[in-house]
Amino acid sequence: MNRRKFLQVAAAAPAILSAEDHQLPKYRIVSHYTPAAQPGMPGPHPGQVVSVHAEGCIDVATEKPSAAVVGEMMARGMRALTGDADVRDSWARFIAPSDVVGIKVNCSGAPGIMSTPEVVAEIARNVVAVGVKPDQIWIYERFQEQVNSVHYDRYVPQGVHIWTAETSRGSTESYDPATYVETTFFDEDDTRSNMIRLVSNRFTKIINVPNMKDHGAAGVTGCLKNIAYGSFSNVARSHSGAVTNTYSFIGTLASVEPLHSRTVLQVMDGLRGVWHGGPFSPDRKFRFYPKRMMFGTDPVAIDRLLLDIIENQRKSEHALSVWDRSASHVNPEARDYERNPNVNHFVREPGHIQYAASLGLGVYDLDKIKVTKIEV
Amino acid sequence: MAALFLAVLLPTLFWDQPADTADTLRKAGIERLYVPADQVAAWKKAGFAALPFDRAHSTKAAAPAVEYRMDVASATRIPWVDANGWRFAREPARSYFYDAPKGSAALAAAEAYAYGVEAAIHVAPDDLEAFARMLKFLGAIDQPRLPVKANIGVIDDGSAAMGEVLNLMARHNLLFRVIPAPDPKYDLNLRLGTGEYTRESIANPYAFAMQIRRRLTDEKRLLRLYGSNVVLALLTGDGGQARVHLINYGGRSVKGLRVRVLGSYARGRLAAFDRDKAELQDYGVLDGATEFTIPEMGTYAIIDLTSP
Repeated sequence: MNRRKFLQVAAAAPAILSAEDHQLPKYRIVSHYTPAAQPGMPGPHPGQVVSVHAEGCIDVATEKPSAAVVGEMMARGMRALTGDADVRDSWARFIAPSDVVGIKVNCSGAPGIMSTPEVVAEIARNVVAVGVKPDQIWIYERFQEQVNSVHYDRYVPQGVHIWTAETSRGSTESYDPATYVETTFFDEDDTRSNMIRLVSNRFTKIINVPNMKDHGAAGVTGCLKNIAYGSFSNVARSHSGAVTNTYSFIGTLASVEPLHSRTVLQVMDGLRGVWHGGPFSPDRKFRFYPKRMMFGTDPVAIDRLLLDIIENQRKSEHALSVWDRSASHVNPEARDYERNPNVNHFVREPGHIQYAASLGLGVYDLDKIKVTKIEV
Repeated sequence: MAALFLAVLLPTLFWDQPADTADTLRKAGIERLYVPADQVAAWKKAGFAALPFDRAHSTKAAAPAVEYRMDVASATRIPWVDANGWRFAREPARSYFYDAPKGSAALAAAEAYAYGVEAAIHVAPDDLEAFARMLKFLGAIDQPRLPVKANIGVIDDGSAAMGEVLNLMARHNLLFRVIPAPDPKYDLNLRLGTGEYTRESIANPYAFAMQIRRRLTDEKRLLRLYGSNVVLALLTGDGGQARVHLINYGGRSVKGLRVRVLGSYARGRLAAFDRDKAELQDYGVLDGATEFTIPEMGTYAIIDLTSP
């Protein structure tokens, strides 16, 4: 099926497309790492999500989070996830004192939305509490200019590294030349997406800290997109015109070893959210405040819940469904998408979550996802 | 242009400042140059190997540069490279003249040297030092030229449309060589009007170039680059040795460029302009190809590869 035909079909039948409906690119995965006996994704808790809501976790007027409430949310969420009475025991199930821990934050929407410093600091504090030295902890993101405004250094224990792969956009020296996914989407010259070298060579465990956001290409961006597109180079090439290959590329990247095995914990930060215009957030009118955090080891299950959170918010705002594939709503040539929630920049691919499930990264079926709800 | 500097085929400065700027050139290490005809005597008197520049007998080369065009659709910046390699490959025997805008003289010198063409470069005074450094670098790495290695043999009909195809192939590092007749040693032979290469198909030169790429397949390509859209490559080689020329049109350093050369070469040596201590990283030979990383490069880098 060519691109034109694909769009015609999409316009005629705006519905969830399956893998059979998509013409998937050919991926060549190059990695000499072998999977762990139990890979971190979906980990020891497939299909389980602990969802913690706290009305007082953020002041909506000022967007200032409460570190104390965040601490309480995290403690109760982690204990509920593992069933331990002591939160240190909960963290110790994932992190050992000898680990080198990467914390994958999301700063693409900063300063409007990002992995909240109070949340990241609380994670770092808990990791230190199980015996990891601060200089064995690395907060990481791809782009320096996105992290600059957040100032994690003011919140985290002294000695924790705050590191970005690309101090200048496009520089590739921080990526592993021997671990990559090769494919061609749009006849691009550079056909490789390489894993961040720290991820492949140094980190022994990774904690993923996405936000709750709409995404113009992927439909939503949560655990899967953050860990996948945030750990590899040269991923923006998957979009061109109205077409995006996020449907299969996100899951494919997330399944590459050792990222697949070492990503042991998902902490979704939903103190704030973005219901349109994501992954960026220049306009506050598209932000909302779920005041929620979700904990688990299964990125698919958490993202499946995220889909409904974003979809319901968009519905309440009379915006297009994230599942809308109508060509008449897509305008890749205009900047309307940033302002108008009834315009799509790309044909969105929220099906990327189900596709990731087909790769063994987690549980997509709502009937098989167990959600433990906690109110703080 | 009188080809009187052929003993060493390095680009030559064209300098139209008066002879009282001689000290500036001496400090830069310039000893030979082209000057306006009425200034030849004054420059010779100042001790320089000066020759009159004859623009009528030279072909103007484009100013090498990169232009970033915003692709609204994908919110990415797609660079467009203005380069002369395709032109030089088409007519290598001509003499070329660059009127190099400020900031581009060293790049022009590297480009002309890589393709082995005779070139005079009009250099802005502010660029003299960088240009002279480039000449010194080129002089240090100069060696007998090796044959051009290419995947695609092109029987050039001389048309503007074919010129645009050559430009796009060079722009996408699809290595070609202009040849007089089809030669089976190339993976593809391209002659318009034969087989699938119809004259109608060239109407969209980009699509045509990509059609050639798909027909060739990336696996067969003698050279691939990963990590930059603004570095163009030329590959020469013979027997167990090869030389990779990398020209960076981006105007800023490129970090972490990965290079894949088809063939097994046990050793590689990097010479990078303005990066004296740079060495190849992550060097490896696997599955019949040699790969390595250039940790950082400025305008120009050369990698000499040898097999045992």
